Amino acid sequence: MLMFSYLMATGITTGAFYALVALGIVIVYKSTQVVNLAHGELFMVGGMLAYTCYVMAGIPYLPSLILAVAGAFLVGILTERIAYRSVLKHGLASVLVATIGVSFVLKGIGRYIWGGKGDYLAFPPIISPEPLQFGNIMIMSQQLVVLLAGIVVMGALAIFFRRTRAGKWMQATASNPKAAMLCGLRIDRIYMYTFAVGAAVAGAAGVLMAPLTHLYPDVGFVLFIKGMAAAVLGGLTSIPGAVLGGLLLGLAEQLSAGYLHSSIQDVVAFLVIMFALIFLPTGLLGARGLRKV
Amino acid sequence: MKRLASKIGAAFAFASLAALGAQAADVPGVTDNEIKVGTFGPLTGPVYIYGKLTMNGVEVYFNKLNEKGGIHGRKLVLVREDDLCKPEGAIAAVKKLVYEHKVFAIIGGGCSNPTLAARPEIEKAGVPFHVFAAVADGIVDPPVANIYTTQLTASIESQAQIQWALDRGAKKLAIIAQHDAWGRSRYEPMLLDLKQRGLQAVADEEVTVDQNDGTAQALRLKSSGADAVMLLGYPKAAAVVIRDSIKIGYKPLWIGQTAIQDLPALQGLIGIDGALANFVSITTIPGHPDNPQYAEWRKLLKDTFPNDELSVFNLMGVAAAEVFGKVVEAAGRDLTREKLLGAYDTIDNFKSSVYPGPITCKGGHKCNQSPAFVKLDNNSVVFAGTVALK
Repeated sequence: MLMFSYLMATGITTGAFYALVALGIVIVYKSTQVVNLAHGELFMVGGMLAYTCYVMAGIPYLPSLILAVAGAFLVGILTERIAYRSVLKHGLASVLVATIGVSFVLKGIGRYIWGGKGDYLAFPPIISPEPLQFGNIMIMSQQLVVLLAGIVVMGALAIFFRRTRAGKWMQATASNPKAAMLCGLRIDRIYMYTFAVGAAVAGAAGVLMAPLTHLYPDVGFVLFIKGMAAAVLGGLTSIPGAVLGGLLLGLAEQLSAGYLHSSIQDVVAFLVIMFALIFLPTGLLGARGLRKV
Repeated sequence: MKRLASKIGAAFAFASLAALGAQAADVPGVTDNEIKVGTFGPLTGPVYIYGKLTMNGVEVYFNKLNEKGGIHGRKLVLVREDDLCKPEGAIAAVKKLVYEHKVFAIIGGGCSNPTLAARPEIEKAGVPFHVFAAVADGIVDPPVANIYTTQLTASIESQAQIQWALDRGAKKLAIIAQHDAWGRSRYEPMLLDLKQRGLQAVADEEVTVDQNDGTAQALRLKSSGADAVMLLGYPKAAAVVIRDSIKIGYKPLWIGQTAIQDLPALQGLIGIDGALANFVSITTIPGHPDNPQYAEWRKLLKDTFPNDELSVFNLMGVAAAEVFGKVVEAAGRDLTREKLLGAYDTIDNFKSSVYPGPITCKGGHKCNQSPAFVKLDNNSVVFAGTVALK
């Protein structure tokens, strides 16, 4: 029973990681129909910027977090303006290829700037690194921070999309770009802000998770795969779906590794992607493509 | 008559010089004032540290030699090729170094699998090859005349880990390993060694290089009752497993290997005070790069590569280059590849300024047979002991 409790608790906290990554992927896909394959590298950029501010420059944590998220937002704008906007007119496949290019460029920049300082950069824990006791199990306090942050980010995004004009513009553009343009919306600008918001969410995830994932130029790839699996499972167009997908993936990984064998843990994400694509092509909470009449 | 004699003398001197020049020209990569040495390993890609940083260490040592006039009047020039840590990349890099750059010798091999893949090409070309970082035994085993390594090989490290556990009275041994090519080069010799000793691991768990949580592995290790765990993983994988073991209250004797020898860095990754109280690791260098004994290398590295902080990888390059330089010196001014390979036999009980134990290439191609262990004591890396391999 103790083992089950530990695996469940860890599954939920690990799932919160994946949900945070998945949220950024979903935001961009929801508005542009593009899967940003450079999303993992934006996560890395956010973490590295925070490391530069917090560890290297000694700036307090909160301003470092804000600077890192703002930096990631800016990188999102730059990548859209430089790499994506000019190829958008050639179709989604071209943008997809461009995102691969951006992913390599960002990794290269990461290696150039932060690459000579050892293999992994340790990001100090924001709060006490000691595990906290809940009943008869222990949970890492930093994992709880990520879990809470995931809930906050999800809530903020829900409000953003439902209550703000910019959020509604993004949804309108995603739903029908031509109609949105006829209504006077500047969809190129909306796309730009969409990529930037997605990058900012990735940056925030990078900062929050850095004490657990640690930082190196290639940190983003595996987390992107896990985030993608969570997004596909939950539904690529659904923000609550991204969270649900992340949590289910985290639980599936932990329970299979704990009760079957640890060698299965890393395979689960790929099995989830395959399962979802075959049996749930729109995900658990994704748009079904059907309308009530 | 006098003029004729002086003309004959001049002609003789010219012919002698020409002959010497021709001799130097016959040896690839060697001129009167230069020895071209190739290196290959990952300069880019996820594991560039094993190539780029180690090469930086080699270059720093070569620079030091060159500032003192080189070896027998010849300066050492390092030519780098990126293999991306891929087998096809290593084969192409070796071909380019041998046939395009025409290097005299190669000091390199950042990743095990690509270096293994390049071995037939190196063997065929007959170019002397000194391994500086790759650990797979197959690179030098079975031995060939032109390949030597001063890195501890994977099987030596695996045997040493088991021996350390048994010497400390451990009764139940467990393994947690990465099952990639790097991990398997250690994991398989470890299973073989356990079998030869009539032992079996009570738990055999897997961890991945990018693991972010090790709770499931820690729970399985704990339920096996293992009192010593051999860790065959990179720093991040090791850090999450140890961190999550502490979380569930599991504190066995942890035995690491050279990939996790930077104990302060590992402690930093775990982030919990006292996390390495029961941890030892095999070491390439008998201390930490920040220790005062490496001050000279720290300064020389900063002078040439201002972005680098002195790391174990840099020092691995320095260490290999130091032995290589000694071999070149022993080969003499009249340098040929055959003489260089013959000179490896003169390296007998050589006390390197970096490696913890003596280096002996005489009679074998695995020149480093001295696994030493380090532990963390009051946040300082201290020597923990050695083992006698059976």
